[in-house]
Amino acid sequence: MPDYEFSPASGDRPRSWISKQVLIVLGVCLPVILALAIWVGVLTWRQSSMGATDHVSAIVLGRCLTYTRNMHPELRNQDCKKILNTFTSAFVSKDPCNITKEDYQPLIDLVTQTVPCNKTLFWSRSKELAHQYSGIQKEMFTLEDTLLGYIADNLVWCGDPRTSEVKEEFCPYRNENCSSTATSVFWTVVSQKFAESACGTVYVMLNGSGTTAFSKASTFGSVEVFNLHPDRVHTLHAWVMHDIGGVERDSCLGSSIKELKSIVNQRNISFFCQDDYRPARFVQCVRHPEHPSCSVLM
Amino acid sequence: MAAQGCAPRRLLQLLQLLLLLGAGAAGAQWRGEGTSRNLESIFLGRCAEYSSLLLSPAEREKNCTAIWEAFKVVLDKDPCSVLPSDYDLFINLSRHALPRDKSLFWENNHLLVTSFAENGHRLMPLCDVLYGRVGDFLSWCRQKNGSGLDYESCPSSEDCENNPVDSYWKRASIQYSMDSSGVIYVMLNGSEPKGAYPVKGFFADFEIPYLQKDKITRIEIWVMHEIQGPKVESCGEGTVKILEERLEAMGFQYSCVNDYLPVKLLMCVDHSTHPDCALNSAAASTQRDGSSLYTDRGATLTMALLMALASGAQMQLEPPLS
Repeated sequence: MPDYEFSPASGDRPRSWISKQVLIVLGVCLPVILALAIWVGVLTWRQSSMGATDHVSAIVLGRCLTYTRNMHPELRNQDCKKILNTFTSAFVSKDPCNITKEDYQPLIDLVTQTVPCNKTLFWSRSKELAHQYSGIQKEMFTLEDTLLGYIADNLVWCGDPRTSEVKEEFCPYRNENCSSTATSVFWTVVSQKFAESACGTVYVMLNGSGTTAFSKASTFGSVEVFNLHPDRVHTLHAWVMHDIGGVERDSCLGSSIKELKSIVNQRNISFFCQDDYRPARFVQCVRHPEHPSCSVLM
Repeated sequence: MAAQGCAPRRLLQLLQLLLLLGAGAAGAQWRGEGTSRNLESIFLGRCAEYSSLLLSPAEREKNCTAIWEAFKVVLDKDPCSVLPSDYDLFINLSRHALPRDKSLFWENNHLLVTSFAENGHRLMPLCDVLYGRVGDFLSWCRQKNGSGLDYESCPSSEDCENNPVDSYWKRASIQYSMDSSGVIYVMLNGSEPKGAYPVKGFFADFEIPYLQKDKITRIEIWVMHEIQGPKVESCGEGTVKILEERLEAMGFQYSCVNDYLPVKLLMCVDHSTHPDCALNSAAASTQRDGSSLYTDRGATLTMALLMALASGAQMQLEPPLS
C-alpha cells in the first residue's frame, strides 16, 4: 500500500488521496454535525417540556427556586420543575371555565409544607396590611407566605382547549357564565389545604372600615373557617383593623363578628376578638406618622 | 449599601464562617458562597416578574433573554478577573427610569430597608431596581481552572478584588447613584458598634462619588437606633459627622434626622410593648382592647390609668368577648 502523507504539498495530488481526505473530513465532521443536531433537538425538547418559555411559567419557576433555596431552605428538596409542570398540567388545554378541584389535586399532593402551630394568619379584605405585617413578623404565615401561595400571588393564568400554552392574557373573569376559572379554583383548593393544616391558635385580620368585617361570601368565610379542624385548632383570634383616619363601619361588637363567633364556637373552637391589634396598628402608622392615634412617646 | 448587594452582612459572614469550616474539610477554594443552583431560571424568573409587575407599560418590553445573555459573559471569565465594566452591556439592557425622590441608600439595616421600601412602592432601594433585583441574594463564578460554574465556592473580596459578585454590585451601585434624582434618602444604623457610616464601603466608595449634583436637590440622612439597642452614634456624631462633612464639602444640601418616625413605627411592630413604643394619651384613650390574652394590655392599662389620673378623663374598658 502506498504511503500517504498528510502534510500539505503543492502540485498534483493523486485522486485517491483527495477522496481519502474528503472521507476523513466527512468522517470527522459528520459525527460533530450529528451531535450538534441531537444537542439542539434535546435543548428544544427540554425547553418545551420545561414550559418555561412563557411569562407565567418563568415567574412561577423563579419564585419556587427563590422560595426553596433562599427563603426556606428546609424545603430545598422540593423539585421546582416538577412543581411547575404539575401546576400547569392542571389547566393547560382545558376549558378555562370548567376547571375542577381534582385538576389541582396532584399539585396539592406534591407540595407538603407544615406551617408551625400558632403561626397561621388568615386575612379577609385586608391583604396588603396582612402581608406587610407578616413581612415583618417573619414567623407568621399568610397563605401567600407558603410555597404554593407564594408562587401564584398576584398572577393571572388560564389554558385554552385549542392550545397547550399557558396564557396570561384574555383569561375569562369569574362570573355566572364562567364559574370555575383556573385561578379561582386554585385559590379555593390551596386555601382549603391551608386551613386544614392549621393548628393551635390561629389568627385572622379583618377590615373594620369596609362593608362588613366578616363576610360568608369571602374565601375566609366560605372556605377557610369551615376547614379549620377542631382536633387541631383550639382558638381563633380576630383582629378587626380600621383605616387610620378612616370610617369605623364594623368592629368586634358588630353583628358580623357575632356571626363569626357563633360559626367558630359551633365547631368547638374558642373565639376572641380585638379591635386595632397594636403591632398591626404600627404597620398602618408608618403611612400616617402624624396622626393622633400614631403618636409615640419618644 | 452592604457588600453582596442587599444580602445581610451578618448572614454572609456566618455563611462565610461555615464555608471556611467546611472548606477545611472539603477543600473549597474560595471564602465566598458557591454559584447558586438554577441561577439562570431564578434570574429569568425575577426579570420576567419585575418587568410585568413593576415596570411601566412602555418599559415592559425588556428582553429578559438578552439581559441574561449579557450578564452571563462573566461566567466565562476567570473568577478573579471580572471587572465592573464587564457588566456594562447587562446594565445598558436592564436600566430603567428611577422615579424622583425615591432613592434609598443604606448600610447595615437590610431587613428594615426591605420592609420600609414596600417592594419599591414607597421607596426604591437598589434591590427594587431591575438590575439589583436579578442578582439579589445570589452568587456566581466560573471555576478557576475550567469552563464550568463553581458550585463549591466563589471568591470573596478577601480572595481577590475583581470577583464576579463584588464587581456586579459595584457596577450596579454606580448606575443606581448616577440615575438617582430629587431628594436622596440614606438610612444608617446608629446601633452598629463599628459606626453608622462605614468609611470604606459600597455607599462610601461606589455610591457617593457618583451622585449627580445637578439632579439632586438634597440628601436626608436617617440614623435609626435599634429598640432596646445602644445609641452608639447619632446625627452629628462620629462617623455620621464624617459623612455630613463629606457631603457638605461636595456641595450637597443635607439634613439629618435621628429615628425618623415612619421607620421607627415599623420597628415598633416587633416591640409593641416596649416603652419606646408606648402611644401617648390621645392614642391610649382611643384604644379598645377586647381581649384578656394579650400581654400588651398591661402596658396599655398602665398608660391609660396614668393618663386618667393625670387628666381626669373617663376611660372605657371593654369586657373581653369570649
